[in-house]
Amino acid sequence: MLSPNIVKELTHIVGKENIQTSKEDLICYSYDATNQKFLPDAVLFPKNADEISLSLKLANKEGFPVVPRGAGSGFSGGSLPVEGGVVVSLERMNKILKIDTDNLTAVVEPGVITGEFQWAVEDLGLFYPPDPSSLKFCTIGGNVAECAGGPRAIKYGVTRDYVMGLEVVLPTGEIINTGTQTIKGVVGYDLTKLMVGSEGTLGIVTKIILKLLPLPEATKTMLAAFPNMRDAAKTVSKIISSKIIPSTLEFMDKNSVSCVEGYSKTGLSTDMEALLLIEVDGDSGLIEKQAETIKKVCLDYGAKEVRIAKDKREAKELWQIRRAISPSLAKLKPNKINEDIVVPRSKIPDAIIGIREISKRYKLINANFGHAGDGNIHVNIMIDKADKDEAAMADEAVREIFKLVLDIGGTISGEHGIGMTKMPYVGMELSKTTIDVMKKIKQVLDPKGILNPGKIFPQV
Amino acid sequence: MKTLEQFSQEINKCVLCGTCRSVCPTFGVVQREPASARGKVALCSAFLHNEISLSEGFIKQMNECVQCMACHKACPNDVNVPDIILAARAEIAKEKGLPLAKSFILKNILDSERIMPIAMKFISKLQGLLFKGVPEESGLHRRFPLPLIDERRVVPPLAEKFFLEVRSQGPASAGFKQGSEVRSKKNTLQPRVGFFAGCLINYMLPNIGEASLKVLEKAGASVIAPLDQLCCGMPALGMGDVETAKSLALKNLEVFEQYELDYITTACSTCGDGLKRRFKELLSDEGDDIQKRVEIFAGKVRDITELLVNELEFKDLNAPISDSGLLTPNSIVTYHDPCHLRRGQGIADEPRELIEMSGAKLKEMEHPCRCCGLGGSFNITNYEFSMAINRSKAEDIKNTGADIVATACPGCMIQIKDGLHQLGADTKVVHVIELLAFHLASPLTGED
Ligand SMILES: Cc1cc2nc3c(=O)[nH]c(=O)nc-3n(C[C@H](O)[C@H](O)[C@H](O)COP(=O)(O)OP(=O)(O)OC[C@H]3O[C@@H](n4cnc5c(N)ncnc54)[C@H](O)[C@@H]3O)c2cc1C
Ligand code: SF4
Ligand code: SF4
Repeated sequence: MLSPNIVKELTHIVGKENIQTSKEDLICYSYDATNQKFLPDAVLFPKNADEISLSLKLANKEGFPVVPRGAGSGFSGGSLPVEGGVVVSLERMNKILKIDTDNLTAVVEPGVITGEFQWAVEDLGLFYPPDPSSLKFCTIGGNVAECAGGPRAIKYGVTRDYVMGLEVVLPTGEIINTGTQTIKGVVGYDLTKLMVGSEGTLGIVTKIILKLLPLPEATKTMLAAFPNMRDAAKTVSKIISSKIIPSTLEFMDKNSVSCVEGYSKTGLSTDMEALLLIEVDGDSGLIEKQAETIKKVCLDYGAKEVRIAKDKREAKELWQIRRAISPSLAKLKPNKINEDIVVPRSKIPDAIIGIREISKRYKLINANFGHAGDGNIHVNIMIDKADKDEAAMADEAVREIFKLVLDIGGTISGEHGIGMTKMPYVGMELSKTTIDVMKKIKQVLDPKGILNPGKIFPQV
Repeated sequence: MKTLEQFSQEINKCVLCGTCRSVCPTFGVVQREPASARGKVALCSAFLHNEISLSEGFIKQMNECVQCMACHKACPNDVNVPDIILAARAEIAKEKGLPLAKSFILKNILDSERIMPIAMKFISKLQGLLFKGVPEESGLHRRFPLPLIDERRVVPPLAEKFFLEVRSQGPASAGFKQGSEVRSKKNTLQPRVGFFAGCLINYMLPNIGEASLKVLEKAGASVIAPLDQLCCGMPALGMGDVETAKSLALKNLEVFEQYELDYITTACSTCGDGLKRRFKELLSDEGDDIQKRVEIFAGKVRDITELLVNELEFKDLNAPISDSGLLTPNSIVTYHDPCHLRRGQGIADEPRELIEMSGAKLKEMEHPCRCCGLGGSFNITNYEFSMAINRSKAEDIKNTGADIVATACPGCMIQIKDGLHQLGADTKVVHVIELLAFHLASPLTGED
């Protein structure tokens, strides 16, 4: 609980309209897409870095937790106020401050919706590639904090690759600027990269300088259906060894697709074990050829059917299948344990077959899909939490899956972050020394441990 | 009608993913979670788990929804958020009663024995005193403070004579009243179509009713409009007054059952959605006999655009396309998809086909399916909010440069007209059916 005095001071900082403490409001800021709930004591809606700075200084003085929050679409509980305190919602800081068409950069506030930013730059013939499936509702601030990626990562990289500089309010309230507006810049340590992916534990991002690209002239989207899962997984590396880097190469297994209503509408074969959604972009003449090459590779390596979208509308329908998977899995079982592993591309077949074996051994329903092009697979184990045995089994299975992934040279989280849900497994991947270094960094920046406590690793 | 309690499984289907934030118009304006569909589901869940009561905050959030169904359409788990919210409103109305303004509208206007109650007649006569006209516009501004009407608001005047009233007073030979119904001139034509007028067409935009009769007849149907028909009950349901909605559904059912009809049609998307879908839900606990009857009734209901294109296979207007006046082959028309037609009834192509049949050029706006912000009585209780939602619609329309915006719902028309007026745009607002009737020598609503 916050004392009335603290609430009064916070009210003084942001104004009466921009602090909420009613039960109804607290409930609405208690959850994210992990479907877990922790009530905060207050929600703040600051409008600039100064207000955030004052709030954080107060938090240090009074010792209450502060948790930054974008759209609350996170998959690892990063924005959940697990120890109560104040949620700082960045919903109001949602302006695109500048799009520089000469230097191909932009400056945005953290609450800008990723998709809206993409459309704004596309109107100017520019391109911001990072495309998490949640792009229509997640915020760029949240993307920076999680280093979000998406299907286009295979060709264009992830959020990290587009963040040139930041304005950050440190946990102690000081405001710093990191990075540069120029492509090159080596003065001092790279604090920008440190902040990207720090899950709201090292500072609250209040401004972001982003790199832009010219918009590719055209895209071509296709969907290939494979009766055999291993064939589909193998085809992923075959496409790349044919010297084409698609802008998207997504994998979906049968269980994933079974939940998506849109699939049946495409009229594609239901006799399939896996789908690949593939997109190429660039010069329109070139991609026409590339699409044909990819189609041939797919058919050569076991695809039963390949559908190339005729127009934008058809492409959108194919994409809709992919985007709808994640949330619709709830049709299999009410609760989802959602892992986000990455393995080297060539190891995808091994990983998927291994994961399937493990799930089978534990008698669990498992659905796999994801950004196969960069080896990032979303492993979903569907359970009913009320069934305690099943939940315990799932826990065991996750550990085995992580072990498998690490054994073949992978990592346990590609883009969703650790937050609170992956905390127990960090030690499997990072050595004690590595964790200690990270904790020391946290300690230096946030000596009182007030910013987003209870995340990533057990707090100092 | 399912209670909120009975929706708990539906509520549990929500995984709090946030997808609906991207389409919810109330969230779009407020930009805070409680205004979003996800926030509202979370609040209903908290209420069912006794974490909150029917508090003021809860009631406010349940009221601030325009029932546009965009969230339901976008939801990957098919969570029917608008219906959950309706059930919450019913719970609120049951426990707390209806607020004064709402019960006034219901008792005096909507729940009356006939669709032309005395109260409305009275207001119609008095409106010259209450409102002043806006130059070159068919809207009115109020002169004196009225409890339900915002000062800046431009509303169409109540019709001098209501649609069913006019129709009930002419000679039978010209397609007017015969006994307790209105019949079209050629009343031996097949199929036989019952016309459900709806309050807005009856009271405010009778032109649409006239146009509908004309076009239906041209398309080869005989039309019967029972004079005893009532409000469809959807405004009552939207306010949480299930009992009123139910009794209206039952009475309407009885009225239309008196005629041998092949179809029942309406030119109001909200009425149509209600007749097709809600009557069944409202009467679901009324015993087998009524359920069977309402099933048959609902099976006959078609939106007028749907009826013309799909059932009457109306392909050709068979009339000279006028090349002067408001609508010529050079006119550019843009189309707004009413929520209750597009998402409620899945109808999108039919009205567009009819626009093209009228000879005009169809030019799509950027977001034709975005809600106009009316949301039934939401527009009355939350006028400013409602117009804030409308803003992007009005701008979208203006950006097309179209001469005319056509839609298929009188509610949307009134809202859009107000929004365009506030934006200073002079785009005419008409019903799709009026575009066709124009060539059959009917005036356009946007013109008079
Ligand atoms: C259906 C669905 C699909 C998804 N698909 C993808 C995908 O393809 N790829 C992917 O990477 N992710 C995906 N995600 C996960 C999620 O959308 C991303 O992690 C996204 O970056 C979170 O953004 P947000 O605005 O919702 O942040 P939140 O969930 O609100 O917060 C996430 C973290 O960021 C911190 N944070 C937020 N704003 C700031 C700030 N301004 N400064 C400092 N810290 C901040 C929070 O404290 C928290 O730790 C998906 C989620 C859903 C529901
Ligand atoms: S209603 Fe549907 S779209 Fe909205 S948060 Fe719940 S599951 Fe997601
Ligand atoms: S029906 Fe429309 S306004 Fe209501 S919650 Fe859903 S999207 Fe929002």
